Amino acid sequence: MNAPKPALSPVLQLEGVTRRRAGRPAVSDLTLRLEAGQVLGLLGVNGAGKSTTLAMVAGALRPDHGAIRLQGQDFLEHPELARHAIGWLPEAAPLWPELTVREHLEAHGRLRGITGARLNEARDMALERLELKDLSRRLAGVLSQGQRQRLGLACALLHRPALLVLDEPANALDPVQVVALRTLLRELAGAGTAVILSTHQLTEVTTVCDRVAILHEGTLCHDAPLPADQHAALEKTFFDIAMAGRAQAA
Amino acid sequence: MTLLAVTRLELRRLFVRPLGWIIAALALAELGWRFALLLQLFLLNQVRLAALPDGPGYTDLVAVRLYSSFITGSPLPFGMIELALLLVPLLTMSTLASERSAGTLPLLFSTGLSSSRILLGKYLAVLVWLTLWLLLALTVPVSLAHGVALDWGKLAAATLGTFLALAVLAAIGVACSAFASHPAVAAVAALMISLALNCVNLGAQLAGINSGFINWLAMSTHQETLLRGLVSSADVVWFLLAIVVALALGTRRLAADKERD
Repeated sequence: MNAPKPALSPVLQLEGVTRRRAGRPAVSDLTLRLEAGQVLGLLGVNGAGKSTTLAMVAGALRPDHGAIRLQGQDFLEHPELARHAIGWLPEAAPLWPELTVREHLEAHGRLRGITGARLNEARDMALERLELKDLSRRLAGVLSQGQRQRLGLACALLHRPALLVLDEPANALDPVQVVALRTLLRELAGAGTAVILSTHQLTEVTTVCDRVAILHEGTLCHDAPLPADQHAALEKTFFDIAMAGRAQAA
Repeated sequence: MTLLAVTRLELRRLFVRPLGWIIAALALAELGWRFALLLQLFLLNQVRLAALPDGPGYTDLVAVRLYSSFITGSPLPFGMIELALLLVPLLTMSTLASERSAGTLPLLFSTGLSSSRILLGKYLAVLVWLTLWLLLALTVPVSLAHGVALDWGKLAAATLGTFLALAVLAAIGVACSAFASHPAVAAVAALMISLALNCVNLGAQLAGINSGFINWLAMSTHQETLLRGLVSSADVVWFLLAIVVALALGTRRLAADKERD
C-alpha cells in the first residue's frame, strides 16, 4: 500500500501563503508542494486553518500574502486555471436545493466549459461512479447528508481535474461508502490526480494518503511522507502537536 | 460561454422555484384586469374622443397605459412599471444572497469565473425572465390590433421605455443581492432604492424644490418621455448609465467576497 512514487512534476506549490480571518492569522507562511498522483492528508484540530487553506487552493479565497502556483502557473494571476484543473468539495457539500442531482452535474460541467456529448458522458460516468444513478432525478434539497456528500464529490470529479481538493469528504458516509471512497481516491491518484484531503480521521490518512501535513493555529508543524503501517507513529505526532498547542494556550 | 452557463443555471433556478411563477401569474392577472378597465373607459369615451382633432386613441389610452400609471394619474390598478417596482426585488433577491447563505458562492468562484461574469450571468437570467413577462403583457393590447388603429411607433417607444425601466430595476435588485447576506434584506433594499430612484423628484417638488438635476436623477422623468412616444438618446443613456453603475457596484462587492473574512 502507498508505495513511494518517483519524483513527478508539481501540480500545486504554496509559497509563504498567509491569510487572516476575523482579525487573527488563520494560515501563516504556509509552504507546501504537491505532485501529480500524490495524496496529501491535511490534519489539524478545529480552527487549525485546514478549510481556509483548502478554500485558497480552490480559488474561493485570496491569500493576503504569498504565492500559489498551479501546474507551474501563477494561480492568483490566473484564477481561470481552476476551471479545468481543480475540483473542490467544500465541507458540508453546498448544493442548490431546487435542482436535481442530474442538473447539478450538468450545471457544474457547463461552468467548467464542458458541453454536448462530452458533458453527457462525464455526467453519466460521475453518476455511475458515485452510485447516484437511481437518484439522478431527485432534488438536491431532499437528499440525505451522505447522498449530498456523494453528489458534491461527483461534481468535483466531473471534469477530471488534475487537483482534487476535499474537505472532510467521508463526513456522513456509511462504512461501505467510506471504503468505496478510499478505493476511488487511490484509483484517481494512480491515474495521476493529485489529491489534498482534509480530515479529522487519522485512519483515513493512514489508509489513503502518501503524505501528511499537520497544521496547528495556521502554521505547518509537520510535513512528511507517510510510509505504510505508520498509524501509531502518526497518532503520536498529531497528539504531540495538538497537546503542546493546548498547553501553550493554557 | 461560462457566462451563459451561469445564466442558464440561474434561469433554471428561477423557473423551478414557485415564486417566479406566482409572481408572473399574479402580475399578468392584474395587468389583464387593468387592460379590461382601460378598454372599458376607452369604449365609453370613444364617440367623444373621435370628435376631437388629434384626440388620443387606443394606443394612448389603453396600450401605453397598460405599462404605467404615471401618465394616467388614475386610481386604476398598477401598471407594469409600478408592479415591477414591487415584484422585481422579489425576483432578484435570491440571485446572489441565497448563494452566499447556502455556501454555493465560493463554489462558483472555484470554477475560475470572475465576479463580473457571475454577476452578469445572473443579471442576464433575470433580464430574460422579465423580457418574457413584458412580451406576454404586450400580447394583450396587440391582440386587438386588427380591430383598432394601433400607433406601432408609439407602442414601440413605450415598450422600449418599459424594457429599460425593467432592466434598471433588475440591475438594482441583483446589485442589492450581491451586497446582502439574506434574500429578504436584498429585497427590502432593492425596493427602497428603486422607489427612491423613481420618485426622488416628487419628494423634492413637494418640498418646493424643482431642480433640473433632481428631475434628471429620477427614473420617472426618463420613462415618461419614452411612454409618450419620444425616444431621446439622453434618456436611453440615463438608463444605460444606471444599469452600469448598479452592476459595477454589485461586481465590486462580489469581488470583495474573496478578500473578506
